[in-house]
Amino acid sequence: MKNKFRTALALAAAGALTLTGCSDPGTGTDSSGPVDWPAQDADLSGTTLTIWAAQNSNTVPDSVIAGFEELTGAEVEVVTIPDPYEQGVQTKVATGDKPDLAFWQPTASQLTALNASQNLQPLDDAPWLDSYKPELRDITGILDDTRYAALITTPAVEGVYYNKEVFAANGITETLTDWDSFLQTARDLKDDGVTPFYEMAADRWGTQWWVQVQLADAAADGLWDRVNANEEKFTDPTIQGAIETYQGLIEEGLFNEDIKTATFEDQGAALLAGDAAMAVQVNSFFGQLQSLADTAELDQKIGFFPISPSGNVGTFIPDQSNALVAFKTGDADREAAARQLLSYWLGDGYGDFVNAQQTVSLQTGVETPADVPEALLAVSDSLADSVGSMQALAIANPDLYIFLADMIQGTKTPTEVAEATQAQFEELAKAQGAEGF
Amino acid sequence: MTANITLSKGTARRRSDHPLWFLIPALVILVVFFFVPTLSNFVYAFTDWSSFKSAINFAGIDNFTSLFSNGTLLNALKVTLVYAVLVAIFQNLFGLALALLLERDTRVNRAVRVAFFIPVIMSALAVGYIFQALLKPDGALNGIIGALFGTEVAIPWLGSTTWTIVVVAVVHAWKWMGLSMLIYLAGLKTIDEDVLEAARLDGANRWTMFRSIRFPLLAPAVTFNVATALLGSMNGFDIVQATTEGGPGGTTELLNIFIFRTFGQGLFAQATTMSLVLFLTVTILAFPVIRFLRKREDVL
Repeated sequence: MKNKFRTALALAAAGALTLTGCSDPGTGTDSSGPVDWPAQDADLSGTTLTIWAAQNSNTVPDSVIAGFEELTGAEVEVVTIPDPYEQGVQTKVATGDKPDLAFWQPTASQLTALNASQNLQPLDDAPWLDSYKPELRDITGILDDTRYAALITTPAVEGVYYNKEVFAANGITETLTDWDSFLQTARDLKDDGVTPFYEMAADRWGTQWWVQVQLADAAADGLWDRVNANEEKFTDPTIQGAIETYQGLIEEGLFNEDIKTATFEDQGAALLAGDAAMAVQVNSFFGQLQSLADTAELDQKIGFFPISPSGNVGTFIPDQSNALVAFKTGDADREAAARQLLSYWLGDGYGDFVNAQQTVSLQTGVETPADVPEALLAVSDSLADSVGSMQALAIANPDLYIFLADMIQGTKTPTEVAEATQAQFEELAKAQGAEGF
Repeated sequence: MTANITLSKGTARRRSDHPLWFLIPALVILVVFFFVPTLSNFVYAFTDWSSFKSAINFAGIDNFTSLFSNGTLLNALKVTLVYAVLVAIFQNLFGLALALLLERDTRVNRAVRVAFFIPVIMSALAVGYIFQALLKPDGALNGIIGALFGTEVAIPWLGSTTWTIVVVAVVHAWKWMGLSMLIYLAGLKTIDEDVLEAARLDGANRWTMFRSIRFPLLAPAVTFNVATALLGSMNGFDIVQATTEGGPGGTTELLNIFIFRTFGQGLFAQATTMSLVLFLTVTILAFPVIRFLRKREDVL
């Protein structure tokens, strides 16, 4: 009896093992070839589409969904994936769970992370592409010459948000046009007893902007191509130098005293109150300011300019709320319906969408609403001649921000930050099978 | 003879009452949700499984060599061990103190026991977020201290690269101390009243009674509490993720947080390798710890 039991147990275990096997449950269906794009108003009664969104993007599609449901009879459900959003989505997709559409950062590194060629629908001949402003059409969303993401709002730009009143009170009237005058202004402000820069190392993620804006010129010169090919490393002078400069500025006392414990919320409040003159940040920071003040107050107080070593070149970094991807779910009807929703979103529904979101229009035929704050218009204007960030151009997105926060806390030196970032980058590149690693 | 017959009859009846195949449902669940994941853990650690491609290839001990050559894993292991030891100490101190305070079965004590047990059934993430809010530089704790001393206090409880791990361990211990209390209370109840009375007649004071009689007799409860607190907190994640996310400066980055971060990067095989390392560490640690604690029970 006992032996029989043991045999049964062994058999059960072996059977279960065989069933699991060594296959990736996230593997998508392999449908290829050109796809058709249904008319925006084709009837979709009885079809339910699911959109995955993050906590800060789950209300973005509201106006589009309302219009689309009325037009087509489809039902669209938004499912909020808790933060950290990207990790949650990747984990779900890896275990075989997929929505029809999802908000997703349209950069090469993040599209790679979703295994785009296997899991995502190509959007190459989408009907809305010609409506984009020409300079924005191909700015992002493309991996290995295939378009996988539909850009719906202006990508974020890393640059300097400043308090106009603090600048005026200290006699700064001219636009800061290069790195040296930017730092000189900061030093002058410090001499006048004003905190020049505000950084939020407790929340960590904003720390990388300071390094990335310093790399704008190098990025325009192909820095990330060389890093992607393992011809240049984070530990080489360009990137490590930028990290050291950042550390130097902090040690010089140009930042807020509570840099180690300050959070994203603190940063917004401090800039708005004029406790600090400037913050290097991205669009979501302005979103935070909008939750604290109305457009009139923001127009009066907050300005934006891009900065790079050579001048005013911005560094763009599309994030999850800027774009959507459509998944290969294996159900041809729902895949077509997902494409139809995107066509509507960037087609007949786009005007309502930019109005409902009070955001800058990406399309020549759709006007930007009149009450979009000035700073956001400045961000959007800087986009045309901006260069890609690490996230946009590098094949992998290492945790540079965590290592930089460690540096600010004092547990890593700039050299160790560069080493840790390089080691992680190599690990990721190797996993992708990138050449040269 | 008669006795034998009854016995064998009894066994036979028990056999037919409880046939072995009744175990199958439980066994299936055990195999599917426990054995298979554990075995896959061993298998996937030796592959190159990632989110970047669909093929999974055998990669030998590649993951192990790259992990051990990079200092982060060893640092995370060290942090995890320090955290586990701190949690084991605090949770048992708090639990034992509560059990001794609330030992008598009065109406008030019963109510207070329930109050202290509530954190155990609360969501660990909720506990973490509540404490994160309390411990902020402008949080309630500093507010209370400030009001008591009449000055502005802005201690960054979660911002010290040296002490934050202790603070987070205290939060973890606070959440679970109700469970330790319950087990210590049960242990105290099993102590024979005659032994205590004899001690009292011999003139032992409360401290002597505790040190020489009650604490030694609590040995089984200590074994259970220390072992579960130590080994359980090696698998800690939720509270630390909610309070510090591994910061400041990586000083509270438990192995599980590191695994979560690696998994989030799409490096599934590396994350699996780390969890295998954690599994092995817990196993290796469990045997001597439990053996030592069981040895203490020999006095009984």
